[in-house]
Amino acid sequence: MKDLIEYIAKSLVDSPNDVHIRQIEGEQSVILELRVAPDDMGKVIGKQGRVAKAMRTLLKIAAAREGRRVILEIA
Amino acid sequence: MESLEVSAKTVNEAIQQALATLGKNREEVDISILSEGSRGILGIGSEDARILVSVRAPAEEQAETGKAAPVARDVASVAKEVLEKLMASLRIQGRVNVITSSASPASDGSDITLDIEGGDLGVLIGRRGENLSSLQFILNLIVSKQLHKRTRVTVDVSGYRVRRQEMLKGLALRMAERVQTTRQPIALEAMPAYERRIIHIALSQHPGATTQSIGEGEDRKVVIVPRK
Repeated sequence: MKDLIEYIAKSLVDSPNDVHIRQIEGEQSVILELRVAPDDMGKVIGKQGRVAKAMRTLLKIAAAREGRRVILEIA
Repeated sequence: MESLEVSAKTVNEAIQQALATLGKNREEVDISILSEGSRGILGIGSEDARILVSVRAPAEEQAETGKAAPVARDVASVAKEVLEKLMASLRIQGRVNVITSSASPASDGSDITLDIEGGDLGVLIGRRGENLSSLQFILNLIVSKQLHKRTRVTVDVSGYRVRRQEMLKGLALRMAERVQTTRQPIALEAMPAYERRIIHIALSQHPGATTQSIGEGEDRKVVIVPRK
């Protein structure tokens, strides 16, 4: 799941080296905290949050296959 | 000589698509316009522009510059690569087939469709095709970024879009008939934009009924109303 978001985020931003993802494990859920360079925030959120929404949708597919819940936070 | 027929909304768009598909510059091809196309209203009743693109023999140009042209990566192969990468990250197995040109029936104006075939792919479609839309959206963003130009690649799962399109057309015609006889409007369930478009187009020439969209965002739906 982390690799999915990492691949997408690094592919979309101008500064892939500034993409950092922290995975915080909970009991049944996992929180992925995505950090990108300030100038790249718009790229991972998108107009009206379209990119963020699409990433969360895909993440849900990956999570369901592992039987877990995932929350994506863009910090 | 390599040549390609392309259709798109405008002549310019068709040229861009053709160049992208062939991986050539504007200077490396000859373009003949087969049809200028027309806009229509709100994408309804529009006719696509069609062009024929032929690659010129790469004669003196390369000798002149003295160096080989950089290997142009075409949209289809880049898109296939990205899709396979995404599928691997999603732990979803399947084979990706590239369908190019206007021959792909599911294409909504774009000329490249990636059709995923394999076992357990229902999960890729999701409720109302939501997962498939997200996958297509992200894929196009990544491919556009890599190639430095806007791309519109369609992603399909075992012909789902084609079947869905036929289903929607049939539904539209049946409902229009009912509207025509009862003179009562019928609202269809909420649908994404490209599905509403299929309904609008299917009924644009209908004698007894016409269409409108109401509602906002996710809840936007088509209403079929009797024609006055």
